[in-house]
Amino acid sequence: MLLSVVAASFLLQGTSLPPQAPAVRLRTIAIDEAFAAQAKLKPGDTVTVSSRPAMTTSSREADPGAETVIVGAIVRRGADPSEVARGDFRVRMHLDQLQRVSGYGDRVDRFAIATRPSADVAPTIERINRAAFGFKAYRSRDIAVETSRTFQVVSRFHRAIGVITIVASSVFLLCIMVLKVEERRRDIAALRLMGISRSSVVRSIIIESALVAVLGSILGVALGWAASLLVNWHYQALYRTPLEFSIVTTPVVAFAVTLSLLLGIGAGLLASLRLVRTPPLALFGR
Amino acid sequence: MRAALAQASLIRHRSRTLLAVLGVAIAAAMLLDMVMLATGMRESFRRLLLSRGFEIRLAPKGTLPFDTDATIPGVGGITAVLRRNPDIREISPVLGASIHIPVGDRDVSGATLGIDPSVQGDYELLSGRDPTTADAIVVNDYFLQQLGARVGDTVNVATGYDPQTRTYAGQKKLVIAGRVRFIYGASEQSASAMRRETLESMRGADARDRASLFMVRVREGADAERVRDWIETQVPNVTAISIATAIAQVDARLSYFRQLAVILGAVSLFVGFLLVTTLVTVSVNERAGEIAVMRAIGVSKAHVIQQIVLEGVAISVAGAVLGLGLGLVTARYLNTILSAFPGLPMAIDFFLFQPKAAWSALGLLIVSGIGAGVYPAWRAASLPIAESMRREAIA
Repeated sequence: MLLSVVAASFLLQGTSLPPQAPAVRLRTIAIDEAFAAQAKLKPGDTVTVSSRPAMTTSSREADPGAETVIVGAIVRRGADPSEVARGDFRVRMHLDQLQRVSGYGDRVDRFAIATRPSADVAPTIERINRAAFGFKAYRSRDIAVETSRTFQVVSRFHRAIGVITIVASSVFLLCIMVLKVEERRRDIAALRLMGISRSSVVRSIIIESALVAVLGSILGVALGWAASLLVNWHYQALYRTPLEFSIVTTPVVAFAVTLSLLLGIGAGLLASLRLVRTPPLALFGR
Repeated sequence: MRAALAQASLIRHRSRTLLAVLGVAIAAAMLLDMVMLATGMRESFRRLLLSRGFEIRLAPKGTLPFDTDATIPGVGGITAVLRRNPDIREISPVLGASIHIPVGDRDVSGATLGIDPSVQGDYELLSGRDPTTADAIVVNDYFLQQLGARVGDTVNVATGYDPQTRTYAGQKKLVIAGRVRFIYGASEQSASAMRRETLESMRGADARDRASLFMVRVREGADAERVRDWIETQVPNVTAISIATAIAQVDARLSYFRQLAVILGAVSLFVGFLLVTTLVTVSVNERAGEIAVMRAIGVSKAHVIQQIVLEGVAISVAGAVLGLGLGLVTARYLNTILSAFPGLPMAIDFFLFQPKAAWSALGLLIVSGIGAGVYPAWRAASLPIAESMRREAIA
């Protein structure tokens, strides 16, 4: 089988090996599990890698850099959000092997440098950049900020949708609570005629509204948690990634419960105040 | 008569009705936005691709146009092969590169396209002229602003930067011949175009007779998919992408937004339905005695059902109308957020108002309003008259 890989889409992500392995022994590569599934490859299969697009195995001769290798491992990609929506496949090769196949020579796209935990990174970067010839050093954090612009946009979009959903839920909750209290206008009229004070009536309605809101929130949290599991299951399967798309965190739960409690109490207070200010007989419709 | 009774019932509890209409309006707005998101993105992208009439694009094998730095060798040979197909009307090879222009003590970088001005499909000329001569370049407004230059100015353009030697493959003085708007360009992207031959000569041997992309226009009435298949068999080192393929690829990449739109749209519809059902049910429960009296004096079951269903429909219609305006405003705001996607063409709209889809969504909401009124109406009409009147009298 001939495996064509476009040079420009190569990821130079390899490990340096000891000098040249014996010529007769084929070297190994690692491929994505999605690629393995699509190309029906398994560990131990022999393939030819080339930097040139080709249709037949005869073009093996046309590319002197092409190399026959063994599929040594099938790997699962890490949870990298920047790769989620991309459908391209990744092949991991030894650095010198990739340099030869791609015709890059003794070049790399980037160096990753790990510093000691106690090291001050800024002066190190400055020193590298002063001495550098042909490249520039960046702090990983700055690169992450630059490459995460897409996710910032998605995050802003989610926040906006979240605000709209909260407004819609608030109006819905307010409506339901007002209806629920108003439905009991006759009970309230009876209580008032029996001599129960206005404040007692208001307090009892508020407690009832709060209880309904808390029960509704508990059900909502359970539903949200189930929905979150469903979302993760679906998108992890769709994009073949271990990335978590939806996380139910304690602050999120606390926010939702607090908001619904406040709305419930607010709606109960509004409706009950309106009712206790109306003469009891008027509540009876007389 | 029925409408008047329904109206009286709704007006009796003004604040409650207003709250319900507001709730339905927000649900309608959300539904409209989600319909616009689910259908608009694809339509907007299709319109963008078809805007210049090029139905097929050829990219280096296994890539999408300008997804990588890979180029297609043998432009002359490929063009000759493509010309053999009578269904192909025009071929526009495009070479992409980065350029650098010194301005004072700084360096302004941008993207450039090497094109054939007579068949290009990448930009619209706003003022000036096309880069028909070897020393001409056209730039977009953002680039012009970055350069602080005007049409007619001469700039020193360099390309093919080698970081190892800190030198350029080529430099040339070019005259800014015109101001253009790049159809596929992103906002805040410095972009320019020049003759492909000019760019090739500047980039040197590496770019000789190479293109990053071919745009192909097919003859009217020809089957673009057949032409695409033919190209792929004749030119094995390219991936031919038709509008349908490109839309399918974009669909796959942005499927998240479509699915989100479907889920949130369905939730909005359900919330609207639930709200109307609850309101009408409570209203009916409150008026059980009143309805029993109506039935006792000879008002038919059908009359009662129609009156109550009308209440649900009135809330839904009022909510839908209010929601239409609200939805358009929020869609505009949400579109502004998503337009900030890096590299997204300015002409792409995530939220596109398509009358047919919008009316269908709002129609669905009104139908759900009718459905929401049916259950309480049926319950009200089925109340035992004597029992209800006795209960009302005791109460």
